[in-house]
Amino acid sequence: MSISAPDQPALLTVRGLSAYYGESRALYGVGFSVERGTIHSIVGANGAGKSTLLRAIVGMMNRGRAAHTAGSIEFRGRRIDALPTEEIVGLGVTMVPEGRRLFASMSVEENLVCGAFLPRCRGTLGETLEDVYSLFPRLADRRQQPVSQMSGGEQQMVAIGRALMSSPELILLDELSLGLAPIVVDQIYERIAAINARGVTCIVIEQDTERAMRVASAVSVLLEGRVVLEGDPDELGRDRVSAAYFGLEPAGKAAGKAAGQGG
Amino acid sequence: MNEDLYWTFIDIANGLLSGVMLGGYYAIIAIGLALTFGVMRVVNLAHGDMLVLAAYLAVLVLQFVPISPFITLALVIPVMFGVGYALQRFLLNATSVQSMERKGMSAGFGLMSPILVTFGLSIVIAHALLGGFASDARIIRNALSYSAVRLTEDLNLSTLRLIFFVIAVAILIALHLFLRRTHAGRAIRASADDAEIAPLMGIATPKINALASGIAIAIAGVAGVMVGMSRTFQPFDGPVFLLVAFGVVIVGGLGSIVGSLVGGVLLGITQVLAGTYFGPSAQLVAGYILILFVLAVRPQGLFARRR
Repeated sequence: MSISAPDQPALLTVRGLSAYYGESRALYGVGFSVERGTIHSIVGANGAGKSTLLRAIVGMMNRGRAAHTAGSIEFRGRRIDALPTEEIVGLGVTMVPEGRRLFASMSVEENLVCGAFLPRCRGTLGETLEDVYSLFPRLADRRQQPVSQMSGGEQQMVAIGRALMSSPELILLDELSLGLAPIVVDQIYERIAAINARGVTCIVIEQDTERAMRVASAVSVLLEGRVVLEGDPDELGRDRVSAAYFGLEPAGKAAGKAAGQGG
Repeated sequence: MNEDLYWTFIDIANGLLSGVMLGGYYAIIAIGLALTFGVMRVVNLAHGDMLVLAAYLAVLVLQFVPISPFITLALVIPVMFGVGYALQRFLLNATSVQSMERKGMSAGFGLMSPILVTFGLSIVIAHALLGGFASDARIIRNALSYSAVRLTEDLNLSTLRLIFFVIAVAILIALHLFLRRTHAGRAIRASADDAEIAPLMGIATPKINALASGIAIAIAGVAGVMVGMSRTFQPFDGPVFLLVAFGVVIVGGLGSIVGSLVGGVLLGITQVLAGTYFGPSAQLVAGYILILFVLAVRPQGLFARRR
């Protein structure tokens, strides 16, 4: 990724972000930025802080003594780190949470319609719904089906569709492939590419490093709460990313943009 | 012999009819409790006192303007909605699990505190009513108290109970449609399903919780006016209605509107038939036996949804 021109600021800029659960610290001064219209992958081992990072961006870490953050998060040049989740979503950022977390008592369509709760989304609800159904035709046949009766892959489609219903500019996707068959994961990522092609910027957390590098135009490697490597996946190469993933790449030697400073 | 059979039939038919009518009214007493628990996971121990408060509110209105008690609902409903909204927004949101965690307390503390808060509120309301209205038994007088609808020569239906049943069913249908068909209603259900994820839909959960609580208490207000029109009440009667509400919720199952109607109807029929055959003192006992039976056989209630 090249450094963006001053007149085209990054869509999302995270600076010096630290995150805490009570007394224990999960992120140490993470910094990175995401360019408009790209797919940005975040890779790292279990417990590296990937989910915490996404939760912080959508304001789910603003929980007083239970969890809090320090540092800044800017979306379209505006600080969002102190806003409640619903206001951040109102600005055009949303997340597909790990484990899908659908509304279990509702049908497919009710789940999707819930995603369009924001007043600005209600007027165009019908069109957005048809959009989602054209993206996931399988859901169109199952509109009235309770989500609890669906396969994992179908549930993931509902979760992605529900997030799209708020017409986001930036969508955070946490572990889409968790518990899904490889062929289903292929289909899901093919849809993510289609969503991205419509101009929606994506941040993806993916366990499968190879896949994460293939789909993205930028990758950040998290290790124990710090960004240790960042850049264009093709320039970095698989070996360097794997080395960083396992903590073998010394921080600070990252190619491309300078990674966030350690805390 | 034939005559005996006829009267047995009439007794049972009368029992079933008034049991069903009573059930509608019981469902309305209970639905607010079920809604508050289903959405906020808060057992509102002041639920019964809210009913009594609404009954006194109607008494107060009628002291100044001699109108039909039904018209007092035009004031009782919005006032009780406001009470429920404020209760959740300013008192219960501040003592929820999430806000206790914010303050660095354990989740267990957050589960306990709403129970203490509503228990305290129950005492405060009862004593405030005692101070304002003294302990005399009151009743909301109305023209329909002694009127009955005659179905056959021997089969009667209290007009008041019939009207209450119709109102109750209308409220339950309206609530059902509200929860299914409106954005606010779906937001309430979304918060009940997953309170952590609902904000990702743009839902401000504190406001949505307050809305749910307002609706719950507004319906309790309607129930309170009904209670006041059909029997005498005193400032400390709240727990009686809380127990009725618990009974209905246990029998019908939490989180189901149909369940609360069926639970109410079953409880009503049981009580009326027990009263017919074993005397008035058997009414409450029979109700509790039904509750114990359901708890033993199907503890989640007859219509509970799987969670």
